[in-house]
Amino acid sequence: MEVLAVVVFLGALAAIALEWTHRTKVALLGAAVVVVAGVIDEHHAIEAVDWSTLGLLVGMMIIVGLTERTGVFTYIALRVAQLSGGRPVRLVFLLALVTGVMSAFLDNLTAILLVVPITLLLADLLRVSPIPLVLVEVLASNIGGTATLIGDPPNIMIGSARPELSFLDFIVNLAPVAFFTLLTVTAGLAFLYRKQLVVEPERQGEVAKLDPAADMREAPYVKRSLAVLLGTIVGFFLHAPLHLEPAVVALAGATVMLIIAALGSAVVDNIPFTAAMIPVVDSLQGDGFDDAAWWALALGACFGGNATIIAAAANVAASGVLERAGKPISFVRFLLVGVPATAVSLLIATVYLMLFQL
Amino acid sequence: MQRIGDLTLVQASVDAGATFEEAARVLSENRLASVAVVEHGRVVGLFTDEELLLGVSPRYLDDLRHTAFLEAELPSLRERAQAVRGEPVRDHMRKAVTVHAGATAVHAAERFVHSDEAAVAVVDDEGRLLGMLERTEFAHALLRRLTAAGD
Repeated sequence: MEVLAVVVFLGALAAIALEWTHRTKVALLGAAVVVVAGVIDEHHAIEAVDWSTLGLLVGMMIIVGLTERTGVFTYIALRVAQLSGGRPVRLVFLLALVTGVMSAFLDNLTAILLVVPITLLLADLLRVSPIPLVLVEVLASNIGGTATLIGDPPNIMIGSARPELSFLDFIVNLAPVAFFTLLTVTAGLAFLYRKQLVVEPERQGEVAKLDPAADMREAPYVKRSLAVLLGTIVGFFLHAPLHLEPAVVALAGATVMLIIAALGSAVVDNIPFTAAMIPVVDSLQGDGFDDAAWWALALGACFGGNATIIAAAANVAASGVLERAGKPISFVRFLLVGVPATAVSLLIATVYLMLFQL
Repeated sequence: MQRIGDLTLVQASVDAGATFEEAARVLSENRLASVAVVEHGRVVGLFTDEELLLGVSPRYLDDLRHTAFLEAELPSLRERAQAVRGEPVRDHMRKAVTVHAGATAVHAAERFVHSDEAAVAVVDDEGRLLGMLERTEFAHALLRRLTAAGD
């Protein structure tokens, strides 16, 4: 029976990695096989569903999905891009920063789907290749998502598996190392692509001509949506003293959001690696509780999302947007940037863990 | 009302091997919202004004959620329009929505409502194109029939 479970798990991982069909179908099929085969009974199967992770994901997707319609995130991305003055290296750092911060407080898939199309347009205006900019954003989304409990599905799952780790614990232990890694990796890519990142002086002014607030002026519920989003983030910071699970905070925010706006669509993603590793880290720890192992898992799982074009949902999404735009990026081209970036990130993470956590 | 096949059908189509420019010309010259793309007489897709808009716009347009922030036209707009001209229409068509010539008015109405197409391809038993039925023409014909029945 255990062998069957392992075979189904590995088969499902392979099917997801090779994109045989949508990962939701793969996950549901795998679950159905182990339940029908009697590897796990129905009662334990229902118990195995991580409701707090689902609650947090659904809650945040509703809040972010509805806030996104107001154009607030477009406004933020464009305002930050305008700070570059059309100078490309500065633009690389600013886009990395805005993607990283959005990934930390929204989720990295949303951040990517929002920032990449805007980047394609900015690249169009500035007449530069969008590829280096988008590559930086993909890497920044996974690194930025590492910084908070809600930033990346692996962290949501860790936070749900170990409720004693609060939102603030994640920020205190992960945000500084994530920020440093973001700057290092961005600097590396800016250097790597320095020859491509050249904008003719007469085009540099194009970015300044945009009117970032235009879309918000057309949208309803701007202030109210933003208030709910900010209120929810404040709620995350206070969830430990308030004795509320992050999922409760997110769902409460989503409920308020739904009351003031219309129902948004939500897509739930799955991160099989973290699902598999949580019990492993749990058992490695025995009876004691050492949060360093959890920070190691968070850093490893989130930073590892940068290695290949399929290692994180955000990467797949960005490559889809690029492909539709007629500027596809190959698996190998991503790998050549992703693997060194991941290696540098993991080196920083290891040094950090050894110096400050062990 | 007559059978769907007896209503006024627009005789306009493009071959699957045609270019984007040729398909766009057929749309424009006939002032149509949609034409059938055919291969060996059979309908293989539709080329609509939406494909026309997407084809001449930057390819990331569909992924952009907001665009009011643009103060001036994109310089690449004209370049994109030039580049797309020679591309095969096969790469720019959408899934065909067809209605059999003998279909009921309710079935045709259901196809229009669920597909949200401005026109559907009316086909015979072999799937060969008989012509395009425009939504406006169909709606007016249905209204005439219902009004006549009430009189």
